[in-house]
Amino acid sequence: MRFLLINHLQNARQSLRSNRMRSFLTMLGVTIGVASITVILSLSSGASKIVSNQVDSLGGNITIVRPGSPQNLSTDLTRIKAQQNYSASSLTEYDFGLIKNINHVAATAPLIIMNGTIKANSIAPSDSAIVATTPDLAVISDLTVQTGQFLDPTINQNTVVIGPQLAINIFGTDQAIGKNLTIHGKTFTVIGVLRRANNPINYNSVDFDNAAIIGLDAGKQLGLGQPQIQQIDVRSDSVANLAQVIVDINKSLSLSHSGENDFSVLSGNQIAQPTSQLFFALAGVTTAIAAISLLVGGIGIMNIMLVNVAERTREIGIRKALGANNGDIAAQFMIESIAIGIGGGICGYIFGYIVAFGISTFLTFQPAINWQIAGVAVFISVIMGTVFGLYPALRASRKDPIESLREYN
Amino acid sequence: MTETTKNIPVIELRGLKKRFGIGDAEHFALDGIDLTINSGEFIAIMGPSGCGKTTLLNILGLLDRSTEGDYILDGREISTISARRQAYIRSHQIGFIFQSFNLIPRLSVIENVALPLTYKGILRTARLKIASRILHNFHLGEREYYMPSQLSGGQTQRVAIARALVNEPSIILADEPTGNLDSRSSHVIMEELSDLHKRGNTIIMVTHNPRLTSYATRVITMLDGKINTDTKGIEDEMAPFVNAWSANVKKHKKVKLIRQWGKRRHKSRATLVSSGRRKK
Repeated sequence: MRFLLINHLQNARQSLRSNRMRSFLTMLGVTIGVASITVILSLSSGASKIVSNQVDSLGGNITIVRPGSPQNLSTDLTRIKAQQNYSASSLTEYDFGLIKNINHVAATAPLIIMNGTIKANSIAPSDSAIVATTPDLAVISDLTVQTGQFLDPTINQNTVVIGPQLAINIFGTDQAIGKNLTIHGKTFTVIGVLRRANNPINYNSVDFDNAAIIGLDAGKQLGLGQPQIQQIDVRSDSVANLAQVIVDINKSLSLSHSGENDFSVLSGNQIAQPTSQLFFALAGVTTAIAAISLLVGGIGIMNIMLVNVAERTREIGIRKALGANNGDIAAQFMIESIAIGIGGGICGYIFGYIVAFGISTFLTFQPAINWQIAGVAVFISVIMGTVFGLYPALRASRKDPIESLREYN
Repeated sequence: MTETTKNIPVIELRGLKKRFGIGDAEHFALDGIDLTINSGEFIAIMGPSGCGKTTLLNILGLLDRSTEGDYILDGREISTISARRQAYIRSHQIGFIFQSFNLIPRLSVIENVALPLTYKGILRTARLKIASRILHNFHLGEREYYMPSQLSGGQTQRVAIARALVNEPSIILADEPTGNLDSRSSHVIMEELSDLHKRGNTIIMVTHNPRLTSYATRVITMLDGKINTDTKGIEDEMAPFVNAWSANVKKHKKVKLIRQWGKRRHKSRATLVSSGRRKK
């Protein structure tokens, strides 16, 4: 292409400048599309980064067992399956026992998340969680108590450890040691209040700031029949042994489930993936909206480029008469549309982050800033400029010079 | 100019035909043109509207393709050359001057002049330098950063000529270069073309104005897509005029016209001499 690239760039800049309003509006379409993509990506990767940071900070020797086969963690919107709450969990207390006895397992804790009312001076908000587990959870999930102590098998099982927010919600203070509350009509004594962790998004899918944690046996006695284990957290004694532990868990659970692959053992980044189907659904819908706005923006580019070509038909004729070949003309318009794309992309990237940081003031995590998102934004905008600029550019390059010169200016 | 350069044929046309439309609407704008143009000729093509002058010029300038016949430019048969190569020839060998100037309105004068150099692959700074130099030659140095809309007609056409010359073409094609200008500006433009001719360029000019043929070394008149007359030699100054108009003008008017033309021509030349433009 000889040295024409710089010339085309200057030319594009000049032509875009001479139609400021039009260029701005065209870019706006791309901007909105790229901005929404940026928001989705930065927030979702910010969320999963939080979880993976937690997993990393716990030493990288955590694995979790969830009911349901691994394939069910799909992002396919058309095959959303029912929430775990409504179906019987495939994990049983027997499985928990098996895992506990595997070599190199340092600690393991099942999570039984129950529905029910927590009542004391006032009734807790319905989003408060009731979790039945074993004392090992404190070790695995790095839960620390602010006052009092964590669950202990040696003391009375009708005791509860509550999160600071729950304490404030039902007692009006986080100094709740020794006070009584009722869960499912059964009275428990508060023996500990957790330190505020402020991370509602974690791999346990429980906001411990707003949860009541009771012992496994007490949970079973709440009269809910077979305990529904949502998740079993496992910690190996060292990072090196984690792989072996995962293999062993798979092996022994497979055996006890008579070969049925109705559980999944997750580790590392798999844990960090958001588990909620709703999250996927939301991300899917927003992505679809972003895709539509990108499509509309792209059609806008094509439309404006066609207008540009029609407006400059005479110029095309002149340029051809002065020695431009078809490629030169195509490149000139192509670069202009790519410039619109990239311009819109950069604006969208910046605007997207402004929106994402705006949204994150209502959330407990920050949007992630990484080169992948920037790469995606630039890639999308270049692709848009190219794809939607191609037809107008080809049209321009194929114009007959004589017809073009005859065009009324 | 030596005899040798003068007699090399740059352009050879053999049985050139150009058809527009098909079926009932079929119409030959060019209907069998045979023409040889030597290097260094200044050719004026005349003829009534619709006789195919502009079509011929477009084909010579590689903007259009003939339907039939051969066009040999510098010994190469044009129909065998790729579109890309044709663009290359346009940018290196051919300069276009249009009746309607055809400057790009959103580019400044100097950028317009530098435009053909772009497609030769010359870098911006070098381009502007060359364009600036040529604009100075055309006494337009002060107008470099004007927009085309801020120039007078004569200035605009001088810019257009500067643009046609900036890539040093050997062949200059002018389609009624003075068509939109008053007679004074016309002669200024014709003097420029005449200068170019003296420097050895081949010039092919289409014109309606018989007075301008006096600058040419060869006058071709066309009629209905064919060459009607082809007169060489500047010696017989009356001949081109008479030939050009004999087909259309009744005999008793002819003498009158010739007289008028002679007077006017004398007058305008005198004006130019007195204004000092011809002294350099």
